[in-house]
Amino acid sequence: MIAEIKGICKKYPSFELKDVSFGLEKGRIAGFIGRNGAGKTTTVKAMLNLIHTDGGSVEFFGLPLKENEKEIKIRTGYSSGTVSWYPRKKIKDIADTVKRFYDTWDEEAYRRYTQLFELDENKTPTELSEGMKVKLNLALALSHKAEILILDEPTSGLDPFSRNELLETFRELKNDGAAVFFSTHIISDIEKCADDIIYISKGRIAAATAKEDFIKKYSAEGESIEDTLLRLEGGAGNE
Amino acid sequence: MNNILRKEMKLSASVLSYLFIPFGLMFLIPNYPVLCGAFFVTLGIFQSFQNTRETNDIVFSALLPIAKKDIVKGKYLFVCVIEGAAALIMTAAVIIRMTILEKAEIYINNTLMNANFFAIACAFVIFGLFNAIFVGGFFRTAYKTGVPFVIYTVSVFPAIFVAESIRHIPGLEGVNAFGTDKIILQILLLICGIAVFLILTLTSLKFACKNFEKIDL
Repeated sequence: MIAEIKGICKKYPSFELKDVSFGLEKGRIAGFIGRNGAGKTTTVKAMLNLIHTDGGSVEFFGLPLKENEKEIKIRTGYSSGTVSWYPRKKIKDIADTVKRFYDTWDEEAYRRYTQLFELDENKTPTELSEGMKVKLNLALALSHKAEILILDEPTSGLDPFSRNELLETFRELKNDGAAVFFSTHIISDIEKCADDIIYISKGRIAAATAKEDFIKKYSAEGESIEDTLLRLEGGAGNE
Repeated sequence: MNNILRKEMKLSASVLSYLFIPFGLMFLIPNYPVLCGAFFVTLGIFQSFQNTRETNDIVFSALLPIAKKDIVKGKYLFVCVIEGAAALIMTAAVIIRMTILEKAEIYINNTLMNANFFAIACAFVIFGLFNAIFVGGFFRTAYKTGVPFVIYTVSVFPAIFVAESIRHIPGLEGVNAFGTDKIILQILLLICGIAVFLILTLTSLKFACKNFEKIDL
């Protein structure tokens, strides 16, 4: 197990994350699915030590996150599809600053990803479309040889072609032995490339299992994962 | 810490923080409350904190492989670098007034506080107040800049008024010495000013680290 999230709890005035537990394995893609407001971003923030949890623990590489934050962050990569950093700074300046924090920075990989994603380094994030911003974040996250990638809604705002390219990139990373964890509310992304499904509903993990097991356990015959999740979520909504 | 300072200067800083450093040259303006120059320098730094919020710099920094307290230390270091640069300019201006322009009538007949080492000491106290009230206040939330800056502004102008008035208190005329008069007293006052700056800054840094640690980003 490359990462283990055990019993994370976090209470806000209008929302509560309850006993969130799941594990991530090397060389696998885990899709973290849930509707808006289900607790995906809160969980991701807990995994990045951006929030203080009321209970539970997060471990990467067998090390507790709180005591080994620096080492763990060198070995993990993060990208968000919803936040843009330094919108008026040139991409080359952002990258030049970021790379100095990582001994593991791979300039060749960075060049490869900027080329693959067609990123013009002389542009600023404000000059990029939403999809290109995601690609910029991803290029930065992928260039320091992260062993696990935590991606918060990386496909949001991407056109179908770019999304397909991105999912293909996930598969390549997986083949290289990295673990990919991405949150999304787009079910087709999960169907296309996830090995594991972690389904969160109303702040609770409703399922965390391999995709095949998920289908066996929850899907009716002939039912797609999308239909299954919509049915489950409908049921949760009617509770 | 070099990488963090570099990130502050290259990505997070507003260009105004650099452009406002030469306000230290206000120490050359005769018949003018020279300590306003120190306030303008801090106004420039304030713009960088606005930038910090608008560019999501704090969360970006929190995702880097550094300790959370290093984010706070990086900000303080950046602030101190700007303040230090401005203090150097002020010192140059004071030395010019003390030496080359020692006989300039316009400075001899200066009606307000003289730009001397005591004035630089007061500038250091103003910088210390900025660090303690504004920078320390910012790290209570890591996004609110308005309230701490208003509190700082409300505090700094009475402090400037006190610094300007102190020479009128009988027995304290020496603080307004001109040229190299009472140079030992002037240097002692400068050391006191720097000491106050260090105490305010380091105490504030300690509390800022503690407060920032508690914040959910």
